[in-house]
Amino acid sequence: MELLTPRKRLSFTGQGADLFAVLIVNWLLTLITLGIYYPWAKARRLQYYYEHTELDAHPFHFHGTGREMFIGFIKAVGLIALVYAVFFGLLRVKEVWAVVLGYALFFGAIIAITPLIIHGSYRYRMGRSSWRGIHFGYRGELKELYSICIRDGLLTLVTFGIYGAWFQMNLRNYVLGHVRYGNSSFQYKGDGTEFFLLNLKGYFLTLFTLGIYGFWWQRDIFNYYVNNLSWNFSEGRRLQFRSTATGGGFFGLIVGNLLLVIFTLGIGFAWAQVRMMRYVMTNVEMVGDADLDAVVQTEQEHKNATADELGDIMDIGIFL
Amino acid sequence: MSTAYPAHFYDGLTSKPKEAFVRLREPDALEVEVSGSNGTNGDRFFWPLEHGGMEWERTVSTLRITFGEYPRRVIISRDKLFIATFVKHMQYAGRRGVYDRVLSLARKGPFFFLLGLIVLIVAGYFWVLPFTAERMALLLPLEVDRQIGNASFGSVMLGLDEDSARSVVLQRFGDELELTDKFDLRFHFVHSDQVNAFAMPGGDIVVFSGIVNGMEHHEQLAALLAHEATHVDERHSMRMMVRQMAGYLSLSMLLGDVNAVVAVLVENADNIRNMSYSRNLETDADQHGMERMAAAGVDPQGMVQLLELLEAETDEVPGALSFLSSHPLTEDRIAKAQANTTKNSGPFSTDPELERLFDSLKAK
Repeated sequence: MELLTPRKRLSFTGQGADLFAVLIVNWLLTLITLGIYYPWAKARRLQYYYEHTELDAHPFHFHGTGREMFIGFIKAVGLIALVYAVFFGLLRVKEVWAVVLGYALFFGAIIAITPLIIHGSYRYRMGRSSWRGIHFGYRGELKELYSICIRDGLLTLVTFGIYGAWFQMNLRNYVLGHVRYGNSSFQYKGDGTEFFLLNLKGYFLTLFTLGIYGFWWQRDIFNYYVNNLSWNFSEGRRLQFRSTATGGGFFGLIVGNLLLVIFTLGIGFAWAQVRMMRYVMTNVEMVGDADLDAVVQTEQEHKNATADELGDIMDIGIFL
Repeated sequence: MSTAYPAHFYDGLTSKPKEAFVRLREPDALEVEVSGSNGTNGDRFFWPLEHGGMEWERTVSTLRITFGEYPRRVIISRDKLFIATFVKHMQYAGRRGVYDRVLSLARKGPFFFLLGLIVLIVAGYFWVLPFTAERMALLLPLEVDRQIGNASFGSVMLGLDEDSARSVVLQRFGDELELTDKFDLRFHFVHSDQVNAFAMPGGDIVVFSGIVNGMEHHEQLAALLAHEATHVDERHSMRMMVRQMAGYLSLSMLLGDVNAVVAVLVENADNIRNMSYSRNLETDADQHGMERMAAAGVDPQGMVQLLELLEAETDEVPGALSFLSSHPLTEDRIAKAQANTTKNSGPFSTDPELERLFDSLKAK
């Protein structure tokens, strides 16, 4: 029976030396242009990763260009500068109400900007990704995202972080549930209670085993992310994602990478990245009866990279 | 007749990959022949290579050519021979960017590339960066020196016992010398046993009674003021600050400002470099101070005497540490000043007005 189920596999074909060349040249050019090259460097890096990630032996492609990310970068910098200008402007007033208002606006802006970053980044990254000439897309509503973030954010606050597990799952369900590939779409079915218990168990076992269980905790989280994801096609056909990652595998990956980076004084970073990508990609498979040839192009182009760059500047890792 | 190579064609309408054959057609077009499915006739078209809508990218093992408006049509080939032929064709046409050249360099010998980079960065840090920083500092308006000096002068003077009557005398002494026309110099006389004096950017010069009381000739005081005035006039503090900022910023950018350990390393690495710079500044202030003295008609020999006084008064840093010392060994400075006296040879006469002012400063 197992043999009859068709599987689709992901793979990573990048090589450490090639990635190293890409990264070191990026670093050099960013340095000598005093950081202006950063968006182009980012485009090169992403293109390398996408081009060397294959599904069913066909590569993905990242269409983003340094130019459009640069424009996004400038806009993002302008926005940040505006927030700071208002903040410091109010502080200069030297009145209690102005200082309070300044801080309120400043932190308010940071909190309000986060859903915007998630929404915009997904729109941009998905819109600029393709496989076999068909583009991905993100069709979530900003309004919905805000209501999830405000409601769950407040709940997380009043429960001292405990509700965070449910918050994370609701966010994931919503965002991944609105990712599309042509006329097919993705679905994530995460459950807050399950995710909370998984983390609770992971936390205490890691504590009791002096950190050793951490690798198995990592595996549980990874599996929870992968196994609840599915890909739905027309006529009710679907592919279910499956993880084959193991705690031992994560142990070898993480410890190996740590040693690799430390003993090469950081130069081995590219090779460590390749090891990680390979491990992740070879341990994700898709099972089901869907026909990958039958997807039709539906998504629009989206070239606004502002949110993506804003996320970079504020160092918010938004890719769930 | 050129060879046909196998490739994949994606039409941008559905996700179905199609088998295709591609060949380069002279003078400048790509012929794409898509095989039909289930015995139907295939499709054949030409993509002009000069066309603005044509883009190509290659990685080590794949070549990707796209064409047309969104959604673009895509050709992907993994045929080594075709990739080589195509890339060569495009290169001959001069369509290879600088980026690809640098990248292939990095790919061929990653460690030599890295080594070369490190050498380049070290060179940049020690030569290019200070040079640029200096130029930038001198481009700043003089007003910046004044503002920075004014902003910190108040806190510097806190707890110092200024003698305003003697400050007036010192001011007249300094004005007689006409040491700089860039800044208005303001002299301050402070009661303290320290054998010291310092200058703030923008023109405030503070002299301690400890150093004045040790002096025997008014030329020594003139030398001291000329030395400090050189610091102000040549904007040494400003140059130092810009250099330090540039050094610190570029180092932390280079190392990614990862953590506290790196921050400490960065700070100290920069300090060590700057120490030798500040030694140079002191010698510079001696040399140019002597020129200012000569211009004011004061015998530059006073500088030598001043330094001899300093040498007698201060505990000397052991010779082995002199490399790291922020003040050059006084003996070094004396030797240099001595050599310099011949350049600014007289005749010089003692100025009775300066002598009188000097005496009233010293007298107790």
